[in-house]
Amino acid sequence: MTHPPGAGAWLALLLPATAAALYLAGWGVLRRRRTAWPRTRLLAAAGGLTVAAAALSPPLVAGTGEFPWHVAQHLALVMLAPLLLACSAPVTLALRTLPRRPRRGLLRVLHSAPLRVLTAPAVVVPLELGSLAALYLTPLSGLLHASPLAHVLVHEHMVLTGCLVSWLLIGADPMPRRLSTPARAAVLVLLSAGHGVLAKLLYAHPPAGLGAADEVRAGAELLYYGGDAIELVLAVAVMAEWYRRTGRRLRAEQRRALSAPVPTR
Amino acid sequence: MAEPGERPARTGRSVLTGVLIGIGAAGFVDETVFHQLLHWHHFYDRGTSAAGLVSDGLFHAFSWTAVVVGLFLLADLHRRRATVPVRVWAGGLIGAGGFQLYDGLVQHKLFGLHQVRYGVDLLPYDLAWDVAGVVLLLAGLALSRRPARQIAAPPW
Repeated sequence: MTHPPGAGAWLALLLPATAAALYLAGWGVLRRRRTAWPRTRLLAAAGGLTVAAAALSPPLVAGTGEFPWHVAQHLALVMLAPLLLACSAPVTLALRTLPRRPRRGLLRVLHSAPLRVLTAPAVVVPLELGSLAALYLTPLSGLLHASPLAHVLVHEHMVLTGCLVSWLLIGADPMPRRLSTPARAAVLVLLSAGHGVLAKLLYAHPPAGLGAADEVRAGAELLYYGGDAIELVLAVAVMAEWYRRTGRRLRAEQRRALSAPVPTR
Repeated sequence: MAEPGERPARTGRSVLTGVLIGIGAAGFVDETVFHQLLHWHHFYDRGTSAAGLVSDGLFHAFSWTAVVVGLFLLADLHRRRATVPVRVWAGGLIGAGGFQLYDGLVQHKLFGLHQVRYGVDLLPYDLAWDVAGVVLLLAGLALSRRPARQIAAPPW
């Protein structure tokens, strides 16, 4: 998993840099139209892309030869950055600012059958846990040393899966399906239980390809507690959304009750 | 139960809120005190079965999700002025006692996940663990029979 740090290694930063440029461009369009865009979303985008850039930066990537650093990179790229980016509502921003033709394309993707299948909890949970198990508990990670392309593709897949989870649980963007709050909580419990079990299996049976047994154990504990911390933030975000939504309904009910000429109860 | 002129309190939400917070609090004490501070419990025990790992994973995840959900439900009850404190406490004790008993009987003994403490005669530790669970549970059940009063009637 060690790469020789060179000029080429910095190329990985092009991805978050491009994303930041696009987001800022969209935000600029809204500003020129004098349309409001929540500042928290702008901050979430900045935070998420900064985390992603830090995790992809050559000094940290050079450290990922040591397993705990690799786990830190994994937590940042696959869990923390997607969590923040899901809050930044980039798809909503794109839908509001894109010209008509690409906008229609984006809408077609959002309504497409594959995305509908991909966002089903029965697909997301096994996909996420299966990918993680394949990466850490099988010889796959050893094979990735040999092929840089496979390495990039596998990590791309992990990041996209992480995004799918975050968007499904707390995303502010339109999705082919919206889960009820109890369903979100259930998905979160299942994922988090699965992460815990995988981290303990990794601790119990450190695969040879990942490094010295002590290092893998330290990494497994970081995966366990770090994953818990991020999942705690996810749980708070899921419930905060519920609290705001039911609060709006409650205030509407109270207004109706107060304006009614005769008390209804 | 309710005095004349007083609306009978709706208590289901309060009990549920208490149970969730109680489960979470017991899980938090288990993790903080016994795993992190005393180091009596181990992160992983060689004797752990696969079923034990899954049970522990699910329970660990459920307990801290429960405390988050429970605290938001409590905030929601408060803004509706529908909290019934005695029922929240009853639920909390039932949740904490139930968690403690499940942890002591199913996870420690049935699945052999890890023990209360290592290198000592286990019987007094196990008894103290499970009796604590039973006491919490009984106290919760007793509280749940006490008359319930809302802290305030809704303003509308």
